[in-house]
Amino acid sequence: MRTSETPSAHRDTVLVADNLHKSYGPRAAVRGLSFSLKAGSILGFLGPNGAGKTTSIRILTTIIEPTSGRFLVDGYGSDQPQRIRSRIGVLPESLGFPGNMTGIEFVTYFGRLYGLGSAAARKKAQDMMEAVGLAKRGRSLIRSYSRGMRQRLGIARALINDPAVVFLDEPTLGLDPKGQQELQELVRWIAREANAGVVLCSHQLAEVEAVCDEVVILSAGQVVVQGAVSEVIGGKDQDFVRVQVPEAAVADAERALQGVAGVSAVKAMEGYQKGHLRVELNGMRFSVDGQHVNNNILSALIRSKVPVLGMQAGGSRLQEVFLEITQGGIQ
Amino acid sequence: MSGGAEFTRSGGGAPTWWVVMLKELHELWVGGRALTLLLIYTVLLGIMSWVLSSNSELSLIPPKEMVFETLKGAIAVGVFIGVIIGADSVSGERERATLEGLLLTPTSRRQIIVGKFFAAISPWPAAFSVALPYMWVLSQGDEVLGQAARWGLLFGTLLAVAFTATGMLVSYWCTSNRTSLFVGLGIYVFFLIPTQLPGQAQTGRPGRFLQWVNPMQAPDFFLEKLLVNNRTFAELWHWTITPAVFFAFSLMLLFLYARPGLQLTAARPGLPWAKRRLATTGIFLVGALAALAPIPLRALQMGQEGGGMMSQAAPLVLGIDQTTVTLRAGEPLFFETTVTNNSSQPSADLILAMNIINLDAMGDIVDPEDWSPQRTQYQAGLAPGASASNSWRVNAIVDGDFMIYLVAIPQPAGEGATSHPAASPGIHLTVTPFTRLNPGGVLPFAIGGPVLLLLALIYVYRRRRRGIDEGG
Repeated sequence: MRTSETPSAHRDTVLVADNLHKSYGPRAAVRGLSFSLKAGSILGFLGPNGAGKTTSIRILTTIIEPTSGRFLVDGYGSDQPQRIRSRIGVLPESLGFPGNMTGIEFVTYFGRLYGLGSAAARKKAQDMMEAVGLAKRGRSLIRSYSRGMRQRLGIARALINDPAVVFLDEPTLGLDPKGQQELQELVRWIAREANAGVVLCSHQLAEVEAVCDEVVILSAGQVVVQGAVSEVIGGKDQDFVRVQVPEAAVADAERALQGVAGVSAVKAMEGYQKGHLRVELNGMRFSVDGQHVNNNILSALIRSKVPVLGMQAGGSRLQEVFLEITQGGIQ
Repeated sequence: MSGGAEFTRSGGGAPTWWVVMLKELHELWVGGRALTLLLIYTVLLGIMSWVLSSNSELSLIPPKEMVFETLKGAIAVGVFIGVIIGADSVSGERERATLEGLLLTPTSRRQIIVGKFFAAISPWPAAFSVALPYMWVLSQGDEVLGQAARWGLLFGTLLAVAFTATGMLVSYWCTSNRTSLFVGLGIYVFFLIPTQLPGQAQTGRPGRFLQWVNPMQAPDFFLEKLLVNNRTFAELWHWTITPAVFFAFSLMLLFLYARPGLQLTAARPGLPWAKRRLATTGIFLVGALAALAPIPLRALQMGQEGGGMMSQAAPLVLGIDQTTVTLRAGEPLFFETTVTNNSSQPSADLILAMNIINLDAMGDIVDPEDWSPQRTQYQAGLAPGASASNSWRVNAIVDGDFMIYLVAIPQPAGEGATSHPAASPGIHLTVTPFTRLNPGGVLPFAIGGPVLLLLALIYVYRRRRRGIDEGG
């Protein structure tokens, strides 16, 4: 039976964490974790190693108990762990697989554990294998699967019970770029088509930025930033452009870029990066004349006859935020 | 986490423990682990039965003893396989990182344990079934086979279940399956080693008590006395207590105490109630054993007291029904003795002891233990003028000339008293040599058993291969 406060109060909210704490003796692993997740949205769950991400996920998936606090999954309170387990799908970071089962047998087995009859579980397993792109390899032994295929299989297993919330812990870890891209598509598909709330733990910040709607950043067991990805990035203007010129032309380039619309600072790099300039932007994408700031930078350098050897837009903005916020946060 | 309704049934009406059990059975049997262990066991059983039967041809071991030895081996192997599989059941999943996936399903911990447990004990009936044909051929038509099958099934089931549960308990508290296998096998060997000690090492009350309290040794003692020495259940029933208590205690620990301990990590549950439960079961076990321990000692004591109450020995005459016999090695000799009380007083209880002398070796004594299952027989006291007959069997082991004779020893009245044994006439036994390649017809079983299991293994493997795609 669902908790009375949930159906109306959290119509679209599928996960609510309320002031969760977890301590191992004197060491606090999680301190006051609170957030919520809506159906169909993807939440990036970030933090440096040791920040308490895995502990938090294990609490929310009922593998371990919180020291205090409570949480709701699809309306079921944390005092109903078996109900919660029936409403979640989880891909743990290092999930093992029985190598001597076929993929379809593996997913069917879990379907039956979730209460499906034999034929229904097999049908559902076939559908899930199809959904994750493993239909043609369903009758192969799992030991013949690549890492990417195993991750997909793990996701098929996590979706067998039509979960309201899906927890994916480092799903793209160890995958090649193509595999990462395919997994990202799959994550979007889960949120869009299955209308499940997705909690995505990842160290690939560009991936989180590309896929997630919201983000929670943990440091030393505490939430330090949370909100929509655009808000988190917008709050920290970290846009920059990296320009490479001949070493002898660095001073000319610095002079040329002073005063360009949208440029807040120009810094010449030293050491092995000599010849590079970090051009920081003030957040304006376009100058008053309607030109993109990057075009203005390039025009200024050309006008000053500075040879441009290379030009690159700045790295993941979320990464900049993450590094700034979590610096020194590991305990 | 507590509370919440348990998911005890999967869709389609099957309980989830059944689903877990089917998957575990699939891994054990279709994966080939159980079949491989059984194959190794069958090869060993084939070799053992051929050697035993060859010895029987030389009459070193009578059929009853061969059946007992085979049964003893079957139980030991069944227990061994149970310990191995039980010890890997949880820690192995932890090590292979498959436990988390299972714990994330709504299946209750109890259902997981029940499913795993039933799968883990599945090799025992198979091991016992494999041993039955060997016991049949080794019994050579002796009625001991039925007794061995009944009692072997009972004790084997008690021990296989108890040790499998013990292996699973160890597995709960270990992260690595190497550790749990080491500890599980350590427990197994701890109980097994005393069964391999010579009988002289465990005589006297303390020795007998240690035999009784060892759950592996007590059934051995019971089965040997019942099957080989023709003792009755009424005389031996107290030897069934320890395996029964061990069985109940292991299951109680497994399902009441350890079930909540099924966690992702191997940390022991530190809940006060769990500790209380462990303490309660421990106290129960110690109390049960303390309450029951005096039974064998009392039984021994009563036997001694009973003997002491008999009157002084009277003149006795011991007759024998044969004088000279010629046999081939491997053939049995059956004969009867008659003891008569010629006194006007009732005799004390009598011990009839058989002796065999090697006439070719300057009268060296032959150890009757190798020659006969009836080294001694006990005869109740005789009324004045009464007689009693006793049947004997001797297996001709090696060729040569032998003299067999018996002595009737009246039970002395007590400490410091003695009695006057009476000797029988001798039987002059001549044994001629005889050996065969297929002793007792066991060779087809010794070879056929492993071959059949190997074929089964190949069949399962090929059938499995047909059901899967080979993908790289």
